[in-house]
Amino acid sequence: MAFDPPASRSVEVWLPVTKSAGWAPRFQLGKLPLMRRRDLLAGLLSVPLLPAVHAAAAASAKHSEVSLAIATDGDLLAFKPTELTCTTESLVHLTLFHTGKYITQEHDWVLTAPGAADAVAQSLLAAGDAGGYVPHGDRRVIAATKMCNKGEHVRVDFIAPAPGAYPFICTYPGHAAFMRGTLRVTPR
Amino acid sequence: MGIHKTSTMGIALVCIGALTVAAMHRAAGAQPQSPDQVHTALRILASVYADMESKLPGGQFDRIPHENMEFREASGAMRDAIDKESDDFKAKVLAALDNAVSASQNVADTSKTHDAAKVRKALDALVVSMRSLNGLFPEALRAEPGSVPAPQHNRPPPQP
Repeated sequence: MAFDPPASRSVEVWLPVTKSAGWAPRFQLGKLPLMRRRDLLAGLLSVPLLPAVHAAAAASAKHSEVSLAIATDGDLLAFKPTELTCTTESLVHLTLFHTGKYITQEHDWVLTAPGAADAVAQSLLAAGDAGGYVPHGDRRVIAATKMCNKGEHVRVDFIAPAPGAYPFICTYPGHAAFMRGTLRVTPR
Repeated sequence: MGIHKTSTMGIALVCIGALTVAAMHRAAGAQPQSPDQVHTALRILASVYADMESKLPGGQFDRIPHENMEFREASGAMRDAIDKESDDFKAKVLAALDNAVSASQNVADTSKTHDAAKVRKALDALVVSMRSLNGLFPEALRAEPGSVPAPQHNRPPPQP
């Protein structure tokens, strides 16, 4: 049966009617379901965000992406490997895998400015348990994962800094003395 | 006759030498069934010891009980590593391991006094017990307290 809206109405939007009885049309004006209205609203509101979407796409195109994987050396206080390499300005996806089996101890991966690793570790130690030994807003820290325990993975994404050698450490108390390595950032 | 006497003496010397080497090897510890696991377990224990000892210079006595818990957990690595050994050897290792775990507990208990000298003494006793444990295994598998972490981890990262 073909759709035949009433001629006397100026129709803009026609929607299905849940119940149709007798002569009532199967479509009525203005009965937008809630989800449709939300979609419409979201669509309209997202228009101003289009430049940001374009910027993100442009950034993705500008930065080559690299995935780096690092693990703990089992239950030992050591990273494996202790050297990582990437290209400057690349978008780095770094994953830390805690391969410990026996000891319940937390680890993280914190990349700092050259020469700042020990100072960062000390300041976190001084901050005590309350801060969770995780750097918050420390300008010497370039990137940091969350803490993880045995069998867990954590990931951090960051833009590789200027070419150079950057120390990375675990900031859990006492671990930085042993768990450390170097991220070598090479020119493009 | 002279040649025969010389060769007999030579064989005897070789036998004595072989027996001596065998005896030395036995004294140094027999090759375990899972040498890699044993070596890793000893390294883990030495690593936790190093972490525990590192708390002393800074007077972080309150952290030591946590390290003791880690030492106790790490002992599980050794228990797993010797699972396939003979009952006799397993008993020796477990006795030495239990001594080390008790010594570690003593370090934690002593740390509550916040007396650096007493904690140092307790740590020294732990070192002795760990050396006894290491002594049950061939030299190549040992990881004495103070030997772990590996040298590269003691070195600060290169400064560009």
